[in-house]
Parts: sequence; structure tokens; C-alpha cells
Amino acid sequence: MNGVRSGRWQVTASQHRPIRRDQAVQVECARELLGVAFSEAPNKYYFVLRPDHMVVEADSTIQSIMENLQVYRNHLTVVFEGFQYQLGDFHVKAGRAVIAHSENLRGIVLEVEYLPVSSLGKTHQLMQEFVDIWQEVAAQSMTGRIVHLEPNFGDYSLSDQYSWQHTALQYISLMVHFLSQRTN
Amino acid sequence: MHKYYFFFQRFLKTIFYSESRFTASMHVEALQVLLQGLCGGRQEKLKIHEICLKSGTNLGVEASEVHLLCSLSQTDPVWTVRHVGGPMRGAGAEQLPAHVRSVLESSISSNALRFFYALGYKMDYELVRIGYVFQFQRVVPITVTATMLCKVPKLHAIDEAIPVTPGIQLVELTAPASTENYSEAVGAISSFAEHLAPLIHLSKPGVPTGVVPTASTAAASLVSRGAMKVS
Repeated sequence: MNGVRSGRWQVTASQHRPIRRDQAVQVECARELLGVAFSEAPNKYYFVLRPDHMVVEADSTIQSIMENLQVYRNHLTVVFEGFQYQLGDFHVKAGRAVIAHSENLRGIVLEVEYLPVSSLGKTHQLMQEFVDIWQEVAAQSMTGRIVHLEPNFGDYSLSDQYSWQHTALQYISLMVHFLSQRTN
Repeated sequence: MHKYYFFFQRFLKTIFYSESRFTASMHVEALQVLLQGLCGGRQEKLKIHEICLKSGTNLGVEASEVHLLCSLSQTDPVWTVRHVGGPMRGAGAEQLPAHVRSVLESSISSNALRFFYALGYKMDYELVRIGYVFQFQRVVPITVTATMLCKVPKLHAIDEAIPVTPGIQLVELTAPASTENYSEAVGAISSFAEHLAPLIHLSKPGVPTGVVPTASTAAASLVSRGAMKVS
């Protein structure tokens, strides 16, 4: 497709669970805290609380703060990594998703970004057409098919203007999807 | 980045001088004039809504505390989360004229309070700090704040905040440092504190100090000098 490779990328998504001093006593808190960091935005860290439909953006030092608070413990980490390509107005990341420290491949990831416009509403059809092209290519040269996963951004009070918070929610959704396949 | 903060704090008492011709605001104004001279006039107003959160029952390895700070000085509120560790201990620490603590801060989106509530934290108290802040550079960047602490009568009713001790301000000096250079930072803060000595005495938190005998005279001199510059 005449794409130009422009470097590597990595996204690290983590699942944390609350620490209870007395295991016999319940704690009023979120059962699962999901976090994600991007190699392209090393100074930022994002949290997602799915039942509360919340995306939180913070500096990367929030990880040190959470470590000091010792209220949640890392349970599992999924690493997404691969190469990125420039295809005209589109920026594409292709890579794999693995459970950290196990090299257990959970899936293949394709991220498509349309650079000129950040409005979700205005670019929805364009993006769908681009993905349809990829579906045709995949059908001819790969087993399996591309599945489009996109969370409902409105449920999380995220605006029409695409941001890193939207990306964070997307990768968390991907991690949840891969982990659910693992338990099925 | 781990930050080590040095705290000098002193209540700037004005009620002591209620019988003199110097009003309560005179000493606050005098400190402002002094700091403007020392820091090159770089003063910023400060209005911060501070919320102290404590971990819920049975949550975490041990009970913990975190502070959310919402700066209301700008057009749009800016949220920060801060975790302060205990002061450095040991014989060496006792000798230092300031506390050395690990302080971690992170900017955070405006849903921070809802986030920490969801994580199991509960509000312990909230207050509003109103005053001003100066920045000074000598060896290390030194931050000087003089603020009035105000209690919030109803939940999050920050516009109705009332001073805890009217006429009294909390003066704090803080500086970032690492394990390698904290002694230099202590020296820099001590040196800066000496410039304020004619007006206020600064000490470690929890160490009481008396009112400076020269404060009244120094305040009058500073205020008159400040008025001459304006005119």
C-alpha cells in the first residue's frame, strides 16, 4: 500500500486490584483499576474505571504516587507493540498484544489514525471506508479477519474531539477483549 | 521526580499590635514589599481549594492520605494530586533547620475527586488557601507562600469560606531537592530566611517562635518605602 515505516510504538495496559489488609473484610472500592501508558506520550498516564465510566488523565508521576499509597496492586499487564506506518493522511500502527513477561500472544492490533481531522463524527465514514480496504486485503492474504472494536465514548463523557483519553479507552477495551478471550 | 520539601512556617501575628497605629494588614503588606524586593517583584495570587482524602476501612497495606489541590487563580481550575511522605528521621535530620520530606505531585484531570472516591478514599477535610506566592532562585528554586487558611462551612461551598484565624497568615518556604543536594537546599533556605528575620522568624513545623521585637518598626519602614516607590 506504499506505506512508509516510521518507527516502533508501544502501549502498556495494566490491570490492578485492591489490596485488603484483612481478606475476610470487604472493602468499598473499585474491584478493578485499569491503567495505560503510551511510548509516544511518556509524561502522561491514564486510568479507566469501567463501572464508573471514567477516564482519568494524569502526569506519569501518578504511578509513583499510587505505588506509595499501596492501595492497588498490579495483577496483570498487556503490552501492545509493533511498527508504525505513514500512508498519506493516515497513520497506521500494526503490532501484537502479549501478556507481559510471558510472550503469550493474545492478538494482532491495527490502529488507524486520520491526521487532518480530529472530529469523531466527521471522520466516521472515512475511517470505515479505510478499514473496509484493509478487510479486503486481509481476506486475500491472511487467515482470520479484522474486527473493529470501538467503545462508546459518549458513555465516558468524552467529547467529539479525539484525544489521548479516547486512545486510552480504546486500548483498555482491547485489553479487556483479549483477556476475556483468554478465559473463554 | 521525588521532591524533598523544606518547611519553614510561621504565623504572621498581627493581633498583638492591635493597640498600635499599625493595622493587621500592615504586616502582611510589609512582607509583600520585602518579598517583592527580594524576588524581583514576581508575585502571583494564590487561591487553592485543598481536599484531604483518607483511605477507607481495610483498604491498602496501611492507612494512607492524599491531597487534591484545585488552583482557582487561573481562568480554568487546575487540579493536582499530592502525596507527602513523613519527615526524614535520624540524628542528622534533627540537626537540620527544616523538615525534609518526600513530596510527589501530579497534575490530574478534573474528575480527580470522583476518581479517588471510586478507589475507596473518603474526604477528611477541605479548606481554601488565599494569599500569594513568590519564587526566588538561589542554588535551588525557593517558593515562598503567605496564605490565609479558610474553612468551608458546607460541602464544597468554597465561595463561603471563612478564615480560621482572621488576620493571621501562614508563611511557608519550600524548595525541591534530591538525596544528593538537600544540604545545599537547606543552606539556601536558611540564607533566605535570614532576609525575612527583621519581620518574621521562621522555624521547623511544630517549633513555636515568638514575635520578632523589631517587626513593628520593620513593617512601618517597609510599607513607607513601598509607598514611596509607588508615588
